[in-house]
Amino acid sequence: MSIAVRSHRTQRRVGHQVRIWAGVIVCLLFLFPVLWMVMTSFKLPKDIFTVPPTIFFTPTIETYTSYLQYADVPQRMLNTVIVAFGASIVSIVAGAMAGYALARIRIKGAATLGVLILASRGVPPIALAVPMFLVARNLGLADTHIVLILAYCSFLIPYVMWLLRGFFVALPKELEEAAQLDGCSRMGAFFRIIVPISLPGIVSALIFSVILAWEELLFALVLTNNFATTIPVAVAGIAGDTVNGANWGALAAVGTLTVIPVVLFALLVQKWLIRGMAEGATKG
Amino acid sequence: MARLSSQTTTHPSRRRTQTIDLFSRWSFLTPATVILVAVLAYPIIYTVVISFSELSLATFSPSSWVGFDHYVDALSNPNFLNSILVTGIYLLFALPIQMLLGFGTAFLMNAEWKGRGVVRALFLIPMVVAPVVAGGIWRQLLDPLWGAVNWFIGLFGAPALDWLGDPTLAMITIVLIDTWRWTPFVALIAAAAMLSLPSDVFEAARIDGANWWQTLTKVTIPLLTPIIAATFVVRWLGAVKMFDIVLASTKGGPGQATNVVNLYIYEEAFRGLHFAEASAMSVIVLIITMVLTAVFLRASNKLEEKF
Repeated sequence: MSIAVRSHRTQRRVGHQVRIWAGVIVCLLFLFPVLWMVMTSFKLPKDIFTVPPTIFFTPTIETYTSYLQYADVPQRMLNTVIVAFGASIVSIVAGAMAGYALARIRIKGAATLGVLILASRGVPPIALAVPMFLVARNLGLADTHIVLILAYCSFLIPYVMWLLRGFFVALPKELEEAAQLDGCSRMGAFFRIIVPISLPGIVSALIFSVILAWEELLFALVLTNNFATTIPVAVAGIAGDTVNGANWGALAAVGTLTVIPVVLFALLVQKWLIRGMAEGATKG
Repeated sequence: MARLSSQTTTHPSRRRTQTIDLFSRWSFLTPATVILVAVLAYPIIYTVVISFSELSLATFSPSSWVGFDHYVDALSNPNFLNSILVTGIYLLFALPIQMLLGFGTAFLMNAEWKGRGVVRALFLIPMVVAPVVAGGIWRQLLDPLWGAVNWFIGLFGAPALDWLGDPTLAMITIVLIDTWRWTPFVALIAAAAMLSLPSDVFEAARIDGANWWQTLTKVTIPLLTPIIAATFVVRWLGAVKMFDIVLASTKGGPGQATNVVNLYIYEEAFRGLHFAEASAMSVIVLIITMVLTAVFLRASNKLEEKF
């Protein structure tokens, strides 16, 4: 009897070890492409185009120094920062207020509006890109930061509303009632009491918005062509460059520059990020 | 009736406070509504208008009305129909694979040990790699001549595969890249959901002598059904927008083999300058997407009620 129990326990312990190591291996497999890209970005072409692939090589930042000036990467990086944060801040303010209204304030027609906005998350961006391009062109707004910020609001605001509505629904009702008894207006109660309490949700929504805007490609391709161009457009340009052939070093270098800030950012705020994701999926 | 009469005889100041109240309720919705009308509702209406008109390339505005001509053209355009089919095939494979792998990975990720937090944090990385960069990285890895993947499978005697040049393999490649990028997303949501499951139910199942298969099918999966459905809907909403990964890796090729509908319409509008035809195609895609989204949302809500 006791032997049977012990062997059962050993079996479970082995199973546990297998589960841990399988998890680690899967994780490494998923990380490999990113590591490979970072490695490639520090290689010279003679180390990139080899079979078998070079693993030990003298790292060099030559690709970075030679490519960065020529491709205007710093300017595009700055554009991406401006547009990603600009669009995210506008969307958080507008989206949080609207999400609160849908969760907590009784308004006629609000339910219909809520359904419409939820449904709008399924709108393919290409259906918006053509008219946006035509209107921006006719208004002389093409290739500006503001037009890209507004375009990104088309998917960020519905997203933020949807995420934060869930947070607001879960808050106790007494909060606003107390605030209103104290003579706060609705807006006052929202900004002084609800916003500080919902900060975890708001920060998660902000992080997600910045990431979504950071990596957006379609609107950036369509609405900008030089002055306000973002970094994903630069990456697409290098990937699709048929004149210079496969400029893998440049692709890896610009790719690394695109990914590193977001990865650092994501690791820094991972708790909020994971929570935001879980909440976003459950509280639709 | 009494309420109505009391309202008609309201004191002026009371009516004013009511107006102010109505104003304060709606003021919360105003910023979002104004922006969304400008960047969402108006563009959609404008797309519909363009799709029924001839678009002058001199003024870049719609001119004469042509009725359903562009729709007839679109629906008899084999490349457009092919791009819808290609998108359908991609969705049909990518979504179930990502859901299965994601929930499987979540199970591995949730094993209790001191490195669990680190593993989970590292899983965030593929998720925040911009899709266009993901396409670029994988194009290098899968290159038939210099790619690391072909060298690696060559070690086991496998022949060099033309991952991006063969029509079937190119589709597999697209699904593979997309799965690499999105499985961690599904896994992280699933891991959080699994940790929040009530442990007493599992305890009861163990006491009742259920084996792992019975526990999985009779306890775990039913408990997870709402979250599986919700994650599927979120993933669907992202996947129908597939564009960047294809653009950076195969550019829709070889031929039309991986030309997903968003890429096809983009090329039609901004390379071919057929804005009106592209708008008709966008409207068709919009309608299909909306109908399917409504179906999935409904099904997901039903499942949530049932379990």
